[in-house]
Amino acid sequence: MAIITISRGSYSMGKCVAEKVAKRLQYDLISRDILLAASERFNVPEIKLEKAIHNAPSILERYGHGKQTYIAYIRSALVNRVINNNIVYHGLAGHFLLKGITHILKVRITSNIENRVKNEIKQKNISESQAREMILEDDMQRRKWTKSLYGEDPWDSSLYDLTICIDKLSIENAVDFICKATESDAFQTTEKSIQKMKDLALACHIKAALIDDFPDVGITCEYGNLLVYLKSKDYGNKLLKRIKQLQNDIEGVYSLEIHSGIVIPPEAV
Amino acid sequence: MESLTLQMILVMMMIGIAIFLFIVEWVRVDVVAIIMMVTLPLLHLVTPKEAFIGLSSNAVVSIIAVIILGAGLDRTGMINKLVKPVLKIAGNSPSRIIIAISLTVAIISSFMQNIGAAALFLPAIQRISKVQKIPLSRLLMPVGFSAILGGTITLVGSSPLILLNDLLVPFNLEPFGLFDVTPIGLGLVAGGICCFILLGQFILPKGEILETQSTDNSEDKKSSPIDEETTDFFEVSTPDDFTHYRDPLHVKDLKLRYLVNVLDITESSDFNIVLPSDETEIRSKISLLVSGRKQDVKRMSLNEGMDIKDNLDRYQNHINAQTTGTVEAVIGPRSHFAGKSLQEIDLPDRYHISALSLYRQEKTYLSKIDDMILQVGDVLTIYGNWKHFKRLQSDGDMLLSLPSDMDYMRPEKAVWAGLWLTIALVMIMGFKVQLSVSLMCGALGMILTRVLSIDEAYESVDWRTIFLLAGLIPLGIATEKTGTAAWIANSVLNVIGDVSPITLLTVIGILSTLFTLVISNVGATVLLVPLVVNMAIAAHTDPRMAALVVGLATSNSFMLPTHQVNALYMGPGRYRTIDFIKAGSLVSVLFLIVMIILIKLIYGV
Repeated sequence: MAIITISRGSYSMGKCVAEKVAKRLQYDLISRDILLAASERFNVPEIKLEKAIHNAPSILERYGHGKQTYIAYIRSALVNRVINNNIVYHGLAGHFLLKGITHILKVRITSNIENRVKNEIKQKNISESQAREMILEDDMQRRKWTKSLYGEDPWDSSLYDLTICIDKLSIENAVDFICKATESDAFQTTEKSIQKMKDLALACHIKAALIDDFPDVGITCEYGNLLVYLKSKDYGNKLLKRIKQLQNDIEGVYSLEIHSGIVIPPEAV
Repeated sequence: MESLTLQMILVMMMIGIAIFLFIVEWVRVDVVAIIMMVTLPLLHLVTPKEAFIGLSSNAVVSIIAVIILGAGLDRTGMINKLVKPVLKIAGNSPSRIIIAISLTVAIISSFMQNIGAAALFLPAIQRISKVQKIPLSRLLMPVGFSAILGGTITLVGSSPLILLNDLLVPFNLEPFGLFDVTPIGLGLVAGGICCFILLGQFILPKGEILETQSTDNSEDKKSSPIDEETTDFFEVSTPDDFTHYRDPLHVKDLKLRYLVNVLDITESSDFNIVLPSDETEIRSKISLLVSGRKQDVKRMSLNEGMDIKDNLDRYQNHINAQTTGTVEAVIGPRSHFAGKSLQEIDLPDRYHISALSLYRQEKTYLSKIDDMILQVGDVLTIYGNWKHFKRLQSDGDMLLSLPSDMDYMRPEKAVWAGLWLTIALVMIMGFKVQLSVSLMCGALGMILTRVLSIDEAYESVDWRTIFLLAGLIPLGIATEKTGTAAWIANSVLNVIGDVSPITLLTVIGILSTLFTLVISNVGATVLLVPLVVNMAIAAHTDPRMAALVVGLATSNSFMLPTHQVNALYMGPGRYRTIDFIKAGSLVSVLFLIVMIILIKLIYGV
């Protein structure tokens, strides 16, 4: 039982790999449909969510919280979805959105630019220069997005458990490697890893519920004991009231405390 | 009226910046004062000598001396010994107890820092609450307000009054004597106490009596209602096969998962581990004494396969007044623990004590309290042996009440401490020696007779207050020197027109009350005195009375828990901000009325 995230640049055949892995392992395959789930759950237009997860933040966006809000919604929807395990996710930024779950197999599919250009020309029937420009623009946006939100370069191979270059290796080779890796003990669920996943789901849920009005909170959850972190010492009654309401409304929350004036821990959602 | 000059504009800008920084608290209040001390001479609003004159002012020296005198009295423990005879006189009536303790605190506060007197009496009041079965919330607020009101009884009772004479010097006005404010101060104290006695049931929260921890966990026990936040002791045991087919379970896991603290482990051989470390494994066939909320302990035993006993069995005799138990410890105003986390302080290692929960601003914290930064007024529930509590108490960083009487710290020095205080007062009253000189003589006497050491004296001085005073004095000088105070005063009078002296003093009183709620009482005094003196002169009112109103009304800080005393009592008293608004508004209005009436009667304004 595992969760597999497949990260890839556009037209790297990552989608094709993901589909074949899911078919072979009989796992559920999810990608952009998660945006639809988030859109329905949080009543936000899907196009806004797609923009949020694809485009790097503009200068204005860096000072606002709009993008973070949408990311929080997407993350909550995604974690909620993967909680049942046996999932292959090949959407954007899976390894960042599912950070904190220990039994995820994080895969990166790469391909050289020329092959990618060829694939795009074949699919979109556009000129070589157009295809190249689009791919480079797409790569730049994704790198900027990840760097600005998570401070990391998605092209850094240390972020992944498995990096496969589909140039000399075929798609079938890639699928074989991935399926074999899922048999490793490191990617099997344990009681602890399941608990971590449940905790992350709760934390994401609370974050999504609070982020609109309180964009600067960080949430941690351990065995249903939630902590809401705030950098500033003071917070108003509005946050207290929301917290109390959430504690009553959401199942599995045993305690919910606000810790203010403390540096938000890095593992916080 | 003098026309507005560049210097006046600069001074008003500096005043505006100071007020803004006080309100937003981007930097601490004493840092704001130092900013003023340095910026004013750079802007040529004061000379360099005037910029630092505050550090050698009579007010600052007097405050240093008062603090040392208070620390000396504190060291001997003699103040706390007053509690017993006072209670004897008061008897068992809650009203008489409130009156007696409030009066005592007020009188102590009249020659000690308010916060010092309040902190000194907190453990004693907690003990009285338990013994006399009076809810703590009914006692603390009246006593806390009395500590603040007591600062108006003498000229050394509060920083604004100590500062007053220094601020009158530029106007060549006659200084006030030590007891010139006493009739007004006593009237204010009496008014405040009466307010709580007559209206206490309407304005004070009902509160609960702090019982000692119960050892009976059965459903039908008669005790105060257990709310969701209350923790209690429970005895749980693990079965023979507890460790079979499971990952090892440790003490830290129970804390993390269920917010339950393991206080003691007893193995079948009667081998006992007190306050086991986080890495201690939970084995089979052991008994555990745990502390936590009932719902959490139940969840723990269900999930982990443990058995909860209905009552403490093996640990029945463990928790009593002689051996171990829990106590509420308050982070005091001068505590070295403030600003540090429990992890940094490491109570288990230093004192063999465990912190079970933290109470702050109406909320009880159970989860990861080790990471929380402690603040003055925080209430920690700690568990341990009473011997270790005494050691913690003697270090002075936490205020806690112990079941037995507190030991004198230096009882043999009590006589010397009292003597030097008396000498200082005689010098002031009998020989008309300058306040600062007399008080410093008393302080020196205490040091020479080893009531406290010179290092202890240095350590007791609150440098924040000293620099706050010293830094704002040049701002007051600049306000007067540049004519800013006169300009503002005349502008205000042009707007409000001719008013009677009493009306003017009332307006000044209200202004001072409002100012002191948002900026420090010292800041309000320094900024308002030059202004109101000029206003009074222009309005043909006694300027000394105007200054006196400021000196008194800047202590009128009851409506919000911003005053140090209120902030200290908020946690232990389980008060909410609304409680202070309710009671404080009434007392504030009463304060103004009583003050104006007494000034009119005594000084014939």
